[in-house]
Amino acid sequence: MPDNDYIKRLLHSIALDSDQVAYRELFVLLHQPLRQFAYSILKSGEEAEELVSDLFLRIWQKRVELTEIESPLLYFYATAKNLAINRLTKQKRQAALEAKGWLVQLNHTSYDPEQLMMTEEMVNQIRRTIHDLPDRCKLIYKLVKEDGLKQKEAADLLQISVKTIEAQLAIALRRIARCMPMELRNSIRTRISLKK
Amino acid sequence: MNQEKMWVLLSKKLTREASEEELAELELLITENPEWQYAVQNLEGLWEKQPAYDPSVSEDAFLLHLNRLAEMNITLDEGAPRSKAPVVRLWRSRNWMWAAAAVILAVATYSVIGLQKNKGAASIAAVQEFNEVSTRMGSKTRIQLPDGTVVMLNSGSKLTYNKEYGLQQREVALTGEGYFDVIKMKDKPFVIHTTNINIRVLGTAFNVKAYPEDKHTETSLIRGSIEVTIKNRPDNKIILSPNEKLIVENNMVKTASVAAAKTIIPTVSINKLKYDQVDKTLPETQWVENRLVFRDETFEELATRMERWYDVKIVIEGEQLKQTRMNGSFDKETIDQALEALRLMIPVKIEQKDRKIIIHR
Repeated sequence: MPDNDYIKRLLHSIALDSDQVAYRELFVLLHQPLRQFAYSILKSGEEAEELVSDLFLRIWQKRVELTEIESPLLYFYATAKNLAINRLTKQKRQAALEAKGWLVQLNHTSYDPEQLMMTEEMVNQIRRTIHDLPDRCKLIYKLVKEDGLKQKEAADLLQISVKTIEAQLAIALRRIARCMPMELRNSIRTRISLKK
Repeated sequence: MNQEKMWVLLSKKLTREASEEELAELELLITENPEWQYAVQNLEGLWEKQPAYDPSVSEDAFLLHLNRLAEMNITLDEGAPRSKAPVVRLWRSRNWMWAAAAVILAVATYSVIGLQKNKGAASIAAVQEFNEVSTRMGSKTRIQLPDGTVVMLNSGSKLTYNKEYGLQQREVALTGEGYFDVIKMKDKPFVIHTTNINIRVLGTAFNVKAYPEDKHTETSLIRGSIEVTIKNRPDNKIILSPNEKLIVENNMVKTASVAAAKTIIPTVSINKLKYDQVDKTLPETQWVENRLVFRDETFEELATRMERWYDVKIVIEGEQLKQTRMNGSFDKETIDQALEALRLMIPVKIEQKDRKIIIHR
């Protein structure tokens, strides 16, 4: 998961040395999460790809200023959001401007049921549950879980309060937790305590 | 009700934003709701699972990105947009910059000489390729480098810079203490070499205290961002954020042989800068304002600073006295007034012979 300290180090090399290797590394690190984020707003793979390229062009041109950014990850997502909204405004696709109209797709992660002490059926149930989360809830869950934003950063990005972020995450976690049936929860707990 | 709280706290734990208290509260809530214990464990396991992006997809996209930039006549070597027409203009503007740099350089040389005549405190020796500005004990000076960067030099310090400074590179060497306000220049980082550390910056303000005889080398960052490397660990870069102070132990280099130095890990710490609660000033940079401010320093450390400040020699007798912690500041006090103030702070006897001062119980 990308973290701010690592991104800061890369940005620093890019600014101080015009370091092309660091620039490439940063691109590879953030390209797919940013493209997915842009896609959720633009709903076009081609445009999302172009947006990420525009964003990284801007990074190169403004590299000297970027060393002073407190939270680079938030800067990347906020810039992606602005670029996407500018595109939509130009195309007069007003309907897509609001966050609730965004199409969020979470990545398939390979869960090892054995490792997590879950059945195949439970894993599928969890996938469905995450997929069926309300749009805004899903967006927030993705931003903090997969994209590595802090709750405050996600709040700033979406221009909502941290309280709302907390509430939405609580909903997501509770729904996922419910995929694990009560009896099973108890029986496995007994198994764990027996192991000890 | 408290279940809602449990999920909120769990989310904070997962995004690593929970405080110690919140983590303890979460533990408590989980023991109160044992039916969720297993689910919480699994959620934590689930959270660790991150999407595995295929890097080759992004590497291909990067090549497409470069192609796209090439079509827009942008190359990474130049950084700035480049098209066929403005090449001449670009060259011309560069010529203009050279001329401007030369003018500034001349002005700077003049001001440096003027300073030597007026103050007499700073001495300048131009040794073939280098300009050297040094301050005696008890005096301070202000230097403006050819690019406009301002350096305040504290007592008993020396700043050396190449005569070519500002043209191809911006590198200086410092022994002692300096406050730097560095002009931002794209593609031309400002580099400071001290005995134990190197510092690289773009445009920023910070204080470096690097007296070789001191126990520590201290770097305090006021704004911007700087990159520090410790001389025997060139691969490790330390990046400071504003209001952070990096402290590197000095004796690691002295005590260890060159071969052994590589295996020794120097003591390094990063602390937050503490502004004075009353007047919002920073003790680390108060010397620039002609104030000697000490916050929780040992008497021994304070004595070393007073030696430089007043150009005196101070001997403290007794280990316990040397380690006594001191707080305070000297503003316009003479050495006699400062010693009187010390006597009021702690019960000591002070003997003074010319510029040598002996302090004991």
